[in-house]
Amino acid sequence: MAILSLAWKSLLNRRFTALLTLISIALSVTLLVGVERLRTEARASFASTLSGTDLIVGARSGPVQLLLYSVFRIGDATNNISWESYQDIAAHPKVDWTVPISLGDSHRGFRVLGTTGAYFEHYRYARDRRLVIDQGQRFEDLYDAVLGAEVAEKLGYQIGDAIIVAHGASDVSFARHDDKPFRVSGILARTGTPVDRTVHVSLEAIEAIHVDWQSGARIPGLSISAEQARAMDLTPKAITAFLVGLKSKIATFQVQRFINEYPEEPLSAILPGVALSQLWDLIGIAENALLIVSAFVVVVGLFGMLTALLTSLDERRREMAILRSVGARPGHVFALIMGEAGVLTLLGLVSGMALLYLSLILGQPIIESRFGIFIPLGGPTPYEWILLGAVLVAGVLVGSIPSYRAYRLSLADGLSVRI
Amino acid sequence: MVIEIEDLEFRWQPGAPRVLAIEDLRVAQGERLFIKGPSGSGKSTLLSLISGVTTAATGSVRVLDQALERLGSIKRDHFRADHIGYIFQMFNLIPYLSVVDNVTLPCRFSARRRANALSRSRDLDTEARRLLRQLDMDHPDLHRRAVTTLSVGQQQRVAAARALMGAPELLIADEPTSALDADRRESFIQLLFDECRASGATLVFVSHDASLEPLFDRTLDLAAVNRAAPPALAGMGEG
Repeated sequence: MAILSLAWKSLLNRRFTALLTLISIALSVTLLVGVERLRTEARASFASTLSGTDLIVGARSGPVQLLLYSVFRIGDATNNISWESYQDIAAHPKVDWTVPISLGDSHRGFRVLGTTGAYFEHYRYARDRRLVIDQGQRFEDLYDAVLGAEVAEKLGYQIGDAIIVAHGASDVSFARHDDKPFRVSGILARTGTPVDRTVHVSLEAIEAIHVDWQSGARIPGLSISAEQARAMDLTPKAITAFLVGLKSKIATFQVQRFINEYPEEPLSAILPGVALSQLWDLIGIAENALLIVSAFVVVVGLFGMLTALLTSLDERRREMAILRSVGARPGHVFALIMGEAGVLTLLGLVSGMALLYLSLILGQPIIESRFGIFIPLGGPTPYEWILLGAVLVAGVLVGSIPSYRAYRLSLADGLSVRI
Repeated sequence: MVIEIEDLEFRWQPGAPRVLAIEDLRVAQGERLFIKGPSGSGKSTLLSLISGVTTAATGSVRVLDQALERLGSIKRDHFRADHIGYIFQMFNLIPYLSVVDNVTLPCRFSARRRANALSRSRDLDTEARRLLRQLDMDHPDLHRRAVTTLSVGQQQRVAAARALMGAPELLIADEPTSALDADRRESFIQLLFDECRASGATLVFVSHDASLEPLFDRTLDLAAVNRAAPPALAGMGEG
């Protein structure tokens, strides 16, 4: 105890360098635990890009591919699902609801998704959060479009603006559905999911803009105006995929098997959570790299402490001789330097965590609205405690180097003071 | 006897030349011994041996009837904490401790001196202030100031108060006056004498300043006593 109070007073006496050392340790701890928390939440948020949906159904393909085009709007489906099969599966007694998805068109680089009102009812992300219409309303008229937040922001669209949908993923003039312009009826609030980069229209609208098209091109000589199309039967012939909600989760595998073995056409049903974590395993290597880098930043911070303590030793040899003269053992001198390293590391941990929580409180709303990642303010997780403990152990190990040197010096110097 | 040295021979390493060789040296309780000798005459080695920082392979150093060479290094450190007050030539103080904390420092390492101090005053700080007052350092302002802003003379008096704290039986002063003006030297030594007399402590005072010699009970010329000293150094005043 006596030695710890000496260590504390000695640090206060050198408060400027001690504070600099403390800050570098604190910042590195903030970074380490912040990266850990962010990557945990990013993973959780990614895993819940789509939640509440029990199965995603598409033409037969691998789970990741189906996930990529149905949820992330990346790539294309190998095949469509016929409207009859969709109706058939939707009528299965265990199925509670379905959300049809029809992809294939785009608007200035953003995918156009045809769906029904059920999409806004049942689509959930980030642990059961619903889509919220920020401005305007859902599609009421046939040629209404609801924009994701990023689409509206990047392209500067307001409610009532007209937009032209292009056929396929590339926006070239000869493949535009420019005879049937859409009107922006609503803009969604930001979700941090691929919904933000999607233009939503009704299934009927997808059908309407394609009535005079065949195999990706206009049928020569046939031209049906937007108004004429309204009068036609716009029931879709096929969709790209659909989301399924079940009455009970217990039936998930039963319904999945039913769809996978559906006799009329080859289909795949996947569990979104499983497919999402498979996908994360593919792209999640970067998060580990980030954690390793921040662990090295902690090592650099501790090396700063090592340098500060080692360089102070020479000017402190007199102090050690005085301590020896009043009866301090070389072990006391070791404990004095170790006490300083321990106090610096402990204070660094505490203030690093304080800084982390402060920046979480300030940054939480921004991170949530920008990236859709909600970072809870809870206490450290068991893994974070392990990280903090590892920093403390590393601090003690680093501190033992100057402490041992001081021990050797005080043993050699005794009461004689050489400067 | 407070100090009894017999047939002492000290070498830094086995086989190295002798640094110190003293056949017989005794210091009685309450005595004020002046040890004079130039640099290189073995002063600091002798003080290291008496204070138990080092031990000699040959011969015996007994302090307060305890043969130091028979104690382990931890026990010797304890022994020093309990029984010996030490004053350096200069820069005696821990820069990050207050004047009073510097004076009470030995009590952090010795329960015995702590108990001694508490038997004289109601707490350690009060005892420290009492000693400082005895040494003409009674201005309360001085106690609050950073020790690095004190004059050399003031620092040496704080060091003396620390050495006397808890009434150790033996006081070792290693050229404590060499940084002081000539007229302050005598008054510092008189203060030291007064306090040693009051607590019954024995004083071993090392200096190369022969003018202080008449103030002491007895003088020891180390260059003459140390048989290991190079002949060229014997009798030299300064070094």
